[in-house]
Amino acid sequence: MEEKGWEPRIVAFVCNWCTYAGADLAGTSRLEYRPEVRIIKLPCTGRIDPLFIIKAFEKGADGVLVSGCHPGDCHYTSGNYHARRRWIVFRELLKFAGIDLRRVHFSWVSASEALKWRDLINEVIETVRSAGPFEAYRRLNP
Amino acid sequence: MDREKKLREKARELLESKEVDLVIGYGWTRYGKRVAPVFITRPEDVDRLIWNPMCVNNLTLYITRKYPDVKAMGRPAVVVKGCDAKTVNVLIQEGQLKREDVVLLGIPCEGVVYRQELYDGEVTKENVSPKCVVCDVKNPPLYDHLIGEKVEEGSGFEGARNIYQEIEELDKKPEGERWAFWMEHFERCIRCYACRQICPLCYCERCIAEKNMPQWIDTSAHGRGNVAWNLKRAMDLAGRCVFCGECERACPVNIPLNLINQKLSMVVEESFNHRPGYESEGHPPLIVYSLEDREDFIR
Amino acid sequence: MIIKRNDLKRLVEDLIGQGKRVIAPIMRMGLVEYGEIGSFDDITWDYINPRNSFKEFLFPQTEAIARYRIGKKDVELEGVIPELRETIVLGSRPCDAASTASLRSVFTWGAEEDPSRFRDDFYLMREGVTTVMTIACLKGDEDCFCTTVGLTPESPEGSDILLKETVRGNFAVTPVTERGKAFVEEWRDYITDEREDLKEIEYPEVLEGIDTGKIGARLSDVDVFDDPVWQEVARKCIGCGACTFSCPTCHCFDIVDEATGYEGERRKNWDACQFEYFTLHASGHNPRDTQFKRWRNRFLCKFHIYPTKFTSTGCVGCGRCIRVCPVALDIREVMEWLSR
Repeated sequence: MEEKGWEPRIVAFVCNWCTYAGADLAGTSRLEYRPEVRIIKLPCTGRIDPLFIIKAFEKGADGVLVSGCHPGDCHYTSGNYHARRRWIVFRELLKFAGIDLRRVHFSWVSASEALKWRDLINEVIETVRSAGPFEAYRRLNP
Repeated sequence: MDREKKLREKARELLESKEVDLVIGYGWTRYGKRVAPVFITRPEDVDRLIWNPMCVNNLTLYITRKYPDVKAMGRPAVVVKGCDAKTVNVLIQEGQLKREDVVLLGIPCEGVVYRQELYDGEVTKENVSPKCVVCDVKNPPLYDHLIGEKVEEGSGFEGARNIYQEIEELDKKPEGERWAFWMEHFERCIRCYACRQICPLCYCERCIAEKNMPQWIDTSAHGRGNVAWNLKRAMDLAGRCVFCGECERACPVNIPLNLINQKLSMVVEESFNHRPGYESEGHPPLIVYSLEDREDFIR
Repeated sequence: MIIKRNDLKRLVEDLIGQGKRVIAPIMRMGLVEYGEIGSFDDITWDYINPRNSFKEFLFPQTEAIARYRIGKKDVELEGVIPELRETIVLGSRPCDAASTASLRSVFTWGAEEDPSRFRDDFYLMREGVTTVMTIACLKGDEDCFCTTVGLTPESPEGSDILLKETVRGNFAVTPVTERGKAFVEEWRDYITDEREDLKEIEYPEVLEGIDTGKIGARLSDVDVFDDPVWQEVARKCIGCGACTFSCPTCHCFDIVDEATGYEGERRKNWDACQFEYFTLHASGHNPRDTQFKRWRNRFLCKFHIYPTKFTSTGCVGCGRCIRVCPVALDIREVMEWLSR
């Protein structure tokens, strides 16, 4: 059931070095973008365990975004490559379990890509909105 | 049976020569008609060893670090089918075992039953284990002593349920139906962790399910906790699972865990061209990476 | 007294119509389980013993017992009173029915003599609204051993009403408890005073060489506790909770908090002595540090702790732990060893 005035809740797991700096730049540049996103900063996309995404859904997220440095730019050399591999598999797992992939997004956003970040967030929010509230997951709560 | 006799002879030889201190094999239980793991330490007990299509367990479980008391018994010889031998390859690959630490008694296998209670003197397309239907390791890829002659590869169980077909069918269904399918199963999970305990590759010293500061996976057997547990376990076995099928067999509520594990095996093979268990060199695919990995889903 | 199959159907449909919860054996995912039925036709009649025991309807695998919210100044606490629905378990087996006494012993331990002692209201409230209608078994399977532990396929212990199948496919009704008598009185219209011949009941063989009295006595001996044979018998045990979670008398639970930032609930969940972390102390010490000690504990609980502390039985011989064990660890083998 779609609540009146429902807005999607998005959790964005971002790396400290690129995407967080990019989002920060968007802020300091006074770029306006949708407010329905909650940013969680981590050292690296390689640190992002698939359980983080599950946890986000458990706590009521309607969609999740994972974002880090472009290939070749990882502060720790290869964290994002490891992450990329993990997401290839995890995405398929979520899909196989019947989770709508409109709820799960991945991106590379560098420290200078404030504009990309703004557009990305707006787009992700629209996509998650089209998927609707994640009631199916909330029904798993006792 | 011929193989059984040869197995006993070999076990006796190994124990008598003190090449091994212990033979881990299959034997009958006292009541009923079940086959269970047995640990033979004396040459005069080797006649307890048996071999038949009810020998389903993956005995390599007992040479993992989960069993310090088995390890304390000395150097083991383990009876392995082809599928079980693949586990040894992964254990070596993951630094859990050195090849010389174990003597493998490889048994060419023509199929075992899905669950022991289904066996009625013959392995049929109705009672065969799903792993045997798609088996390509009837002859163990790894062994020290082969018990009896090799058999011809290839499945003979036409018309039996095919796991890959089932996965394909599930893939074709709309998302909502897949979700409903899995939720119906996961909601029945009783969190006995038999899947984890029977798995030779679930050897973490402390499982994530038992980490409680913070509690990552709810221990309660409600939908939320069960989904997190089952997805996380599938994910952690991706690129490692050799399809010994033990988790599904051990599950007291019949959750089709083979489906989810083999789905991920398919994804791993497609994406990284890796099939776990066929060699002990190299690394499990999810701890390495390639610059060429696909990223068509990343913006 | 006889209840005809058709009248049993009417009775069940009426109970469901009144909003009562009827638990009976149903077929799910290729397994017979006790579950709530929506109509009489959901019931599976071809079963020896369901995969689960019906204890989960008296003592749920997971339930909230309190809720809390952390405010700016104080913490709001709120107890949870379980939602109670009158429940009828139809088609329980005598072994499972007998196990309710075992659960009650623990959940009211010492409270009979000393009312100040703790009584588990969650269990008692549920038991208080449950009527157990047992159907005597016609036969067991090769893992049933009720007769070896002092029960039979037609024991009335723990049942409110005992049904026995007649040759015509109807059921002879024997009310056992006051609750059972009242139930029969309430539904008297559906029950006739006819007599019918009963189907023959085939008793599982009493296992020779097993003597529970002797087992209990030997387990009191410290030397037996330290016997190296324990290590041998339980070496193959993988330490899962399949046996304990299937067992009708296992009753251990754990209390956990599940919370988001400022609010959460306290839950009571089944726990199993077979798990490594069951006895792990905060200090890091684990008195049952290897699997055989954990398995030995389970055995001791059934055959030593229960007989010493309670009048109820620790093992009802349902055979579930044997059927469900992934490594075919058979409790009877150990019983036999200890009867020697």
